[in-house]
Amino acid sequence: MAPALFSRLVTLASSLVLLSGLAVLWRHSLAAYIRTFARQSFLIVLAILLIAAQERDVRLCVVAALVLVIKVVLIPRVLHRVQRHVAADFEIHPYVNTPLSLVIAGALTLMSYAVAAPVVSLADLPTRGGIPLALATVFVGLFIIISRRSALSQIIGFLILENGIALLAVLATFGVPLIVELGVFLDVLLGVLVMQVFVYRIRETFDTIDVDRMKDLRH
Amino acid sequence: MLLVALLACPLLAAALAVPGILTRASVARAGAALSGLAFLLSIVLAGRVLAGGVVSFGPEEFLRVDGLSAVLLLVVTGVGFVALWFGEGGARPPAAGTEGGAETGRRYHALAGLFLFTMLLAVTVNNVGVMWVAIEATTIATAFLIGLHRSKAALEASWKYILIGSVGIALAFVGTVLAYFNFVQRVGSTPYALHWTVLSRVAVLLDPDVTRLAFVFVLVGYGTKAGLAPMHTWLPDAHSEAPAPISAMMSGSLLAVALYAILRFKVVVDACLGTSFTDRMLILTALVTLAVAALLLTRQANYKRLLAYSSVEHMGLMCLGSALGAPGVIAALLHALTHAAAKSMAFLLAGEIRDRYGTASLASVRGLLRAMPWTGALFAAGILALLGLPPAGLFLSEMMLLRAGFTAGRPWVMGMVLALLVLIFPALLTHLNRMLYGEPPEGTPRGDHPRRLMPLGLNLAVLLVLGLWIPGPLARLLWRAAEIVAP
Repeated sequence: MAPALFSRLVTLASSLVLLSGLAVLWRHSLAAYIRTFARQSFLIVLAILLIAAQERDVRLCVVAALVLVIKVVLIPRVLHRVQRHVAADFEIHPYVNTPLSLVIAGALTLMSYAVAAPVVSLADLPTRGGIPLALATVFVGLFIIISRRSALSQIIGFLILENGIALLAVLATFGVPLIVELGVFLDVLLGVLVMQVFVYRIRETFDTIDVDRMKDLRH
Repeated sequence: MLLVALLACPLLAAALAVPGILTRASVARAGAALSGLAFLLSIVLAGRVLAGGVVSFGPEEFLRVDGLSAVLLLVVTGVGFVALWFGEGGARPPAAGTEGGAETGRRYHALAGLFLFTMLLAVTVNNVGVMWVAIEATTIATAFLIGLHRSKAALEASWKYILIGSVGIALAFVGTVLAYFNFVQRVGSTPYALHWTVLSRVAVLLDPDVTRLAFVFVLVGYGTKAGLAPMHTWLPDAHSEAPAPISAMMSGSLLAVALYAILRFKVVVDACLGTSFTDRMLILTALVTLAVAALLLTRQANYKRLLAYSSVEHMGLMCLGSALGAPGVIAALLHALTHAAAKSMAFLLAGEIRDRYGTASLASVRGLLRAMPWTGALFAAGILALLGLPPAGLFLSEMMLLRAGFTAGRPWVMGMVLALLVLIFPALLTHLNRMLYGEPPEGTPRGDHPRRLMPLGLNLAVLLVLGLWIPGPLARLLWRAAEIVAP
């Protein structure tokens, strides 16, 4: 593939990843959040495969397969089950409303370009155009966690943040060493499994998964 | 091999907790015995490090123990040993009274073993990526342990803990990726680029701007786990809701392990940028942390939360020390040891007190010295030690810290630190007084067993000895560690 085309495709994939993160900000159905996350993970699989093909790197294909199994299939399946069991359908009253959320997300994206400037200027990689977008995905994930009240939305926020980091790692370094990558996947998977158990318990104890209802512990 | 044996101890303890191998009582005993063995192995390893410099295992030193790791190993295994031994002594399962007590007991021991393993791995592995994986895994192992009691408060605490902990640590991974990126861009791709030894060797070649950015992410990320303000919000909840032995391990050792991760990166960043950047960041963080601790300590109504905020304070002091050159690093590491001894003792005793009085509220605990003379006296000793009073070891480490600050030419910073410490002093002392004296509430059983408190003899010994003088081998070990962090 011509380097210019490759570079443009990678940036396109990265923008789509960020965009699917933003989708969470204007939708309200939790099922849609989970589908959005699965879609975003699939875009990351495509980005990794693109880079793997260009660099002729078999190791990256393994990583892509892992993302596919864990983040496109397994985790969404677990989350859909949780969502059905706790019968929570909507993120009803986020702390920040939709228009303001989008404005903040825009500001976060601009900020990522500023923060990532030294990284982009150091990189001589064809993939460097996507680096600020990956960082923006990280910040948007963080914002989702802070601004949403449902425990499930917070998990989605965490996963979007995690996806942003995975994208950053593959764009900036063509993947961290495999042993680290494997450890990261294991941690994410276990982390989500632990979190889902707590969602069940929160629902059992508080009759809702609105974390705003948990406020015994302040200061 | 010694290193592998050390890591195998807690893993074996966790495996033995699987149903069908041992009875519940022997699971607890095996856990305590294996953590004791791990403590002995750490002492032997520290001796080897003193003799030979570095102990390593695996290709390209995959596992590697130098002076800094050795100090942390002593902290982690020492606290782990006392906490698991103490937790084992009583017939009391960690979640007494709840259904499926035996099941909970096994789960507790399996997770405690895994928790200990992940901390040991974090301080012995050379690869900063794997170190990240290990520290993230501590969050996963401990989340269930905090929620073991299944109360509303415990649930809220564990949710906050796992969410804030995972996010914080994810940001530390961004820092790790940036460091790796920096390396690959400047030096080229090698499979060992994330090895701390390799990173610090080529640090001069790294790009300064990206290095700076990476350190900010690392400080925020691992700082969250280390309980540094303003990322400390989960800490008082988690540390006060967890079962006592787990609180002891989290406050005494896990916080220090997270600070260790920051120190490893500091070495790399300093080699690239000089020390002024990281020192300034760490001092600022330390001051904010101390201020937050001082303000919130005074208004606590729960003695376990009081201890948790005191951990925030002491992490602030350690963070400060690591920014004050070699003497400061020695003071900080000594402080990590003494704080681990005092805080784990205080948390374990707080667990006893809570069991006796049935509440962790400061207002309801009165007449501790009458109801539980031994426990009360030791608890008082622990709090006085945490206040930095002589003859406890924290007095010595805090003095060394202050001196390091003045020698490093930072009188203003040290003045502020002293002022904040003075604020904390009466707050803790008043609370302690109210707990110790007066009449215990009607119907509180009296008396306690000094035998049950035996494991805490180790804590007392460490506190007293280190309050008088630093034994030669330990002093040399601390020097080794300081030479690594502040060459």
